[in-house]
Amino acid sequence: MPMRLRMIITLVCLLWTVIRPEMGRTRVYIDIESPELQPLPIAVAPLRDMGSPRPQLARAVLDILSNDLTISGFFEIIPRNEFPREIDALADPPNFGIWAGSRAEALAIGSYSSSGDRLAIELRLYDLVEKKFLVGKRYEGDIKNLRDIVHRVSNEITYQITGEKGVFDTKIAFVSNMSGNKEIYAIDFDGHDLRQLTSNRSINLSPAWSPDGRLVAFTSYIKRNPDLYLFDFKRSIQIRLSTRPGLNAAPSWSPDGNKMALMMRQEGNAEIFIINRDGTEPKRLTKSWSSEASPTWSPDGRKIGFVSDRSGSPQVYTMDVNGKNVKRLSYSGSYNASPFWSPKGDKIAYCGRSNGRFQIFTINPDGNGVRRLTENAGSNESPTWSPDGRFIAFSSTGGGRSQIYVMNANGANQRRLTSTKGEESSPTWSPRMDR
Amino acid sequence: MVKKSCVVIGVIVSLVVMVSCAKKAVKEEPLGTGAAGEQAWGKPAEGTGTTGIDEKSLQASLERKKYPGIEGEFLESSLFKDVNFGFDRYDLTPKAREILSQNAQLLLKHRTIKIQIEGHCDERGTIEYNLALGERRSNSTKQYLISLGVSPDRMSTISYGEEMPLEPGHNEGAWAKNRRAHFIILSK
Repeated sequence: MPMRLRMIITLVCLLWTVIRPEMGRTRVYIDIESPELQPLPIAVAPLRDMGSPRPQLARAVLDILSNDLTISGFFEIIPRNEFPREIDALADPPNFGIWAGSRAEALAIGSYSSSGDRLAIELRLYDLVEKKFLVGKRYEGDIKNLRDIVHRVSNEITYQITGEKGVFDTKIAFVSNMSGNKEIYAIDFDGHDLRQLTSNRSINLSPAWSPDGRLVAFTSYIKRNPDLYLFDFKRSIQIRLSTRPGLNAAPSWSPDGNKMALMMRQEGNAEIFIINRDGTEPKRLTKSWSSEASPTWSPDGRKIGFVSDRSGSPQVYTMDVNGKNVKRLSYSGSYNASPFWSPKGDKIAYCGRSNGRFQIFTINPDGNGVRRLTENAGSNESPTWSPDGRFIAFSSTGGGRSQIYVMNANGANQRRLTSTKGEESSPTWSPRMDR
Repeated sequence: MVKKSCVVIGVIVSLVVMVSCAKKAVKEEPLGTGAAGEQAWGKPAEGTGTTGIDEKSLQASLERKKYPGIEGEFLESSLFKDVNFGFDRYDLTPKAREILSQNAQLLLKHRTIKIQIEGHCDERGTIEYNLALGERRSNSTKQYLISLGVSPDRMSTISYGEEMPLEPGHNEGAWAKNRRAHFIILSK
């Protein structure tokens, strides 16, 4: 789907960009690294119909766009009743003077047209404070990919305001028992388009999205052994990959997608191994009397984080990819597990237990800078990063049943992603599909 | 570190102690004392003699089963009792060793049976670490049975982590039952 979409959608920078002499480095309007992030107030004008037999599209596009910008936590959508009353308030280019009294600091003005199955959206973004044009783009695609087209618009607005593209085109895969069995599902970042990937009615665990977005590796008990499988999106099939007796579990892809680190049995004990992406050449990395679990590959490909109980309780460790240079990272608390290395390499998220419940923490790869991100009454587990490192998805029982949540990387703006009648766990974030 | 050493020493000491106890148990208490034993025998132990278990009673205890979503049927015998573990532990308690010595007798008497030992965990702990813990529980169980003379070729192990709770509850009573090694018969 993403591949085809990439073919279908043509992204055309409009000629207006030419009249932008100050182009060059994008100004960062909000620094999302800041702990005191203030969302940028943005006005999103209703879309103008430039010739479409489907007037309902205007509303649909606006809803998707506004929702994207709101859930990111980077924007505050200015309500319509706060728009200037003047008749030419939504002229394009805007009359900046009219907006001077508004809270809005940015204005998005769009139009759309459609014919047959094709939809085209044009967007222009203005800085109302500096009174200048920021960007204009045109997006085209099949109407059935409406949501993906609008997500690209949201990605561009996010890029203009924060200096990095959004992740509205990403998906999160997870485990759910909503069908009565633990199957793998995927859902869009905005909580739409829930899709069931596996339907083998077995126990399916620990999904991990491949760096190229085409595969999800996972563990399944179909053949009375926790074997490693791949789900292939293109063909919608599952492929049995690694069948060593005992665990073939908790895969983590190498950044180049050529290998996976995973848990395997050695002498009755789980250790960290590396295998090729075709399941061959298992190579043991850890050798200990203790249990090792949950490997996570560093984005530079040089290190692997993992859990070990060699100290007497489960704690987070790192080692070189050859198994050498093992270093313990977590020291506070008697149960720290599920490490996940951030895509920029600067943090490792993990869950640690206090008072019988797990909370999400981050720690620097050198063991300093422990920071607690969740504080709620539920148990919060299995953190996973968005490809831009700005969000963390995790499972939480904070609202009753275990569901998937998303929060900003500083713990703010927690939002429930799934609302199913099942129990959800083990989220894994896709790479960007819009590349 | 200290805690881990204690666990290791504990396992070693108890292995040594229990090997001798187990031999004694064969002579003194051939039928076992557990409730499951009583249920499974049904009628008072007729014709069981000193060896305790005859083909008929094992046959009568067998039940054909299948796990949903997992290929293949297997047999379960109420004579093979679960052993339970402490929280985040995989070492065998005295009670667990008592049960295992009875299970060992069954295996030594019926030498063609091949079993699988399943390691299970309660719902606390992370899903993935529990997979590792289940691996250790099934293995410590297998190692003890080997020490009692059961051939390792007849026993495979599998970890189900926290994926197959026996009791659905979220309390200590349920958790204690769910931390277990369970026995299934793959072939007779």
